[in-house]
Amino acid sequence: MSGLGAVSGLGWGVEALWEGLRSGRTAIRPFERFDHSLHRTHLAAEAPEEPAGERGGRLSVADRFALFAATEAVRQAGLPLPLDTLEAGVWFGSSTGGMFESEEFFRRYVADRRHAHLGDLASQQVNGPGDAVARHLGVTGPVQTISSACSSGALALGAALDAVRSGAVDVAVAGGSDSLCRLTYAGFNSLRSVDEEPCLPFRSGRAGMSFGEGAAVLVLEPLERVLARGATPLAELAGAGSACDAHHMTAPDPAGSGAAAALEAALRDAGLPADAIDFVNAHATGTPLNDAAEHRALARVFGARAETMPIVLTKAILGHLLGTAGAIEAVATVLCLLHRELHPAPVRERAKAEENAADTEEQDEITANLVLGRPRPLPDAHAAVSTSLAFGGSNAALVFARWEPA
Amino acid sequence: MITGLGTVGAYGCGGDSLRRALAAPDPSAFLAPLLSDVDRTAGYHRAGGARRALLTRGVSLAEWLAPGEARRMSPPSKLAVAAARMALVCAGFADRRCDREETAVAISTAFGPSSYSEALLKQILFEGPEATSPFLFTESVANAPAAQIAILCRARGPSMTISQREAGALQALGQGAADVASGRAPRALAGAVDEMTPLLHSLLDRFGALARPLEDVEEAQPFDRHRRGFVAAEGATVLLLESAASAAERGARLLGRVLAWGSAFDATAPQAGWGTGHERLARSLRRGLERSGVDRGTIDLIVSGASGSRGGDRLEALMLRDVFAGSTLPPVLAPKRLLGEYGGGFLGAAVLAAAGAPMPSALPASFEADPELGIVPDPPLSGPPSTVLVTSLAAGGAASWLLLGAPGAAP
Amino acid sequence: MSEALAVPNRIKRLIVESLHLEGIRPEMIEDEAPLFGEGLGLDSVDALELVVALEKEFGIKIKSQELGREVFSSVSSLSQFIEGRT
Repeated sequence: MSGLGAVSGLGWGVEALWEGLRSGRTAIRPFERFDHSLHRTHLAAEAPEEPAGERGGRLSVADRFALFAATEAVRQAGLPLPLDTLEAGVWFGSSTGGMFESEEFFRRYVADRRHAHLGDLASQQVNGPGDAVARHLGVTGPVQTISSACSSGALALGAALDAVRSGAVDVAVAGGSDSLCRLTYAGFNSLRSVDEEPCLPFRSGRAGMSFGEGAAVLVLEPLERVLARGATPLAELAGAGSACDAHHMTAPDPAGSGAAAALEAALRDAGLPADAIDFVNAHATGTPLNDAAEHRALARVFGARAETMPIVLTKAILGHLLGTAGAIEAVATVLCLLHRELHPAPVRERAKAEENAADTEEQDEITANLVLGRPRPLPDAHAAVSTSLAFGGSNAALVFARWEPA
Repeated sequence: MITGLGTVGAYGCGGDSLRRALAAPDPSAFLAPLLSDVDRTAGYHRAGGARRALLTRGVSLAEWLAPGEARRMSPPSKLAVAAARMALVCAGFADRRCDREETAVAISTAFGPSSYSEALLKQILFEGPEATSPFLFTESVANAPAAQIAILCRARGPSMTISQREAGALQALGQGAADVASGRAPRALAGAVDEMTPLLHSLLDRFGALARPLEDVEEAQPFDRHRRGFVAAEGATVLLLESAASAAERGARLLGRVLAWGSAFDATAPQAGWGTGHERLARSLRRGLERSGVDRGTIDLIVSGASGSRGGDRLEALMLRDVFAGSTLPPVLAPKRLLGEYGGGFLGAAVLAAAGAPMPSALPASFEADPELGIVPDPPLSGPPSTVLVTSLAAGGAASWLLLGAPGAAP
Repeated sequence: MSEALAVPNRIKRLIVESLHLEGIRPEMIEDEAPLFGEGLGLDSVDALELVVALEKEFGIKIKSQELGREVFSSVSSLSQFIEGRT
């Protein structure tokens, strides 16, 4: 990896992201992107206003996030724009694309055709942000958007890794972008899987997920190219793996078999044994079922270490970015490796602990070494795993390794 | 190796129904009655705009889906699962399930489950968020069809849903082929699915993408001087892919071989249209062929994704001419003339072409080649092809291509 | 109140309609028969869909904490729950 870019509830840019992650304060709070008074819950980690937002035209919010993150990443990598002198490709994951803008369009179009502006729809589709990045960077190689729900971003990174390894491209710009929108907000709420308060992943009293938005981009290149350019490798994407639960459209396989298979595939791909992993950036949405199944998957792969190895819970701060989650958590994982420090999740008292406990009587206690409260230095952190699990869909896992000069 | 083909479209269910449509003495006459009037009662459509599409309204999936399992499925999920099951049966798996659990799934969809998404939005925006139907939400995600295939066909390997508009179908097939070739999965179910709703149809028409009626006729005229847009379609095509060794071991009938695949981007494209970067695209395609060790001289048939779009056909034609500059352009087929855009009919036709099935070989008398493009599609072929180049360019800039080899020759 | 408007019958009709249970008529569902797991074999997503339908039909709001197993175990138990709320 030679470049990183991000937009999140903590702000625009990787620096804002890392500072916020270290602080252990959640970005999940009341938000303004749309009127949520009639929705069941009222919180999200909303990205603040874009600094110097001058991008006009028919770009959606998700496009803007993506363009900012991609520009930041490419600049850090020291690559010249446009990228058409290189074989460069874009792999993006998204669940929403320009859905937020399309919702307004739809409301107007259904009411009266004449009052809706087609321009609002130009970037409606899920491949809008990825294509916008490709156009902006002047890419000429493969461009692909993956929309596999919550594992999209991780799958995009896996596909990018394949392309770089095979020599199909010299440079892969990979990541994702998603914005808050009414459809996903109401949708997950209809499944009653959203916590009314900021989510409490992996802890007892957890009552559901929280929403987030933003974008994350990682620039991937073969190591030799980065060094030849005199740029600094940030970390290595050592392996990727994916497998499907095929259990149920919305519930994970309780035994975590799909997730375990994805993890094992990623480790095999990286050529690393489970013991080489120093910490895990868990998918950890905060829903009772996901977290329990995921923990079981970790136990299958890591054995007894699953209870002692540090677990980083990014969603407790950024919320769930849906399709983009895998990408932004990849950035968070790389930052932890770079800084040799694991970012914490907020320590929070559960106000309604008793009430929820009655409702979730089958909730498993998860015994794990969660990184909470303050950043935890991990000077010997060499390798980490990040998981992204999507029920009926695909489970994905990525293995990252610290890069050390020879 | 491609060992199974399943497909649903206006032409019916199954590879044979598609084969019959393409082999009909006058395919236009065969398919024209299958153009349905899109339901315009909601009033979305503009006056004088396109009114018809190739819909699956009249096609029954009862043989492929039990009512119990389909009760919550969105239309694309139903189409995709039916097509996946057809592909499995075609490949010799009578129980309609993958024999190897680690089978990968790679599905492309341009628009996802539109009808469910629209119904969901209506609930949220007009009835209120608390009226949101969990059924609609869980089945409105782009990856619902792939997830349903995984569950019902027991495919628990890597699973990916690609959304890259018109270029996605070939990317999905490439992904499935890569999963098998890399050893990540022993088999792959790869394909494309889309549904065409009245709302979507009306929007495509307003964007000027669809062929508007001329004297009450709506038709796609790829590469024609007077082409005025494409005809929208819906459906699903799913292929079963496996390694040559595995196919041989099972004694499976081969439909074709996926020799190479690749994808490129034209950064001059506007968000929802086609650009002018044919030279760059041609360069990428040539580079891809070289990297795959393929001499363009061995290509004896092109199945192009030209759909009748003014900008899209132009870009594709110029790109193809550029790729074959200095040599003769092989015969070019344009199945979207008959099968429309979206839904995977094109993908099915490409596979059948590589398998040596009879293809349309006559154009309407009214055809007039666009002089700038200089391509007369769908000529009579002198025999089954040995190496087929399949291309498809998406609005927005993405382009994908695939090389298919005839089943007969040894790998 | 006519038979058709009795709460259990309205619930049965809702189950068939909102959950797209083809081939099953409301009268075929017994008051005490298990709805989830065995019996009709409905699952968690069906339960949530039914909740939305019940909220609309009876004009009530059902909180997440009230979505326990017992309430939803049969038409009878659902009926008691609803009559207690309306």
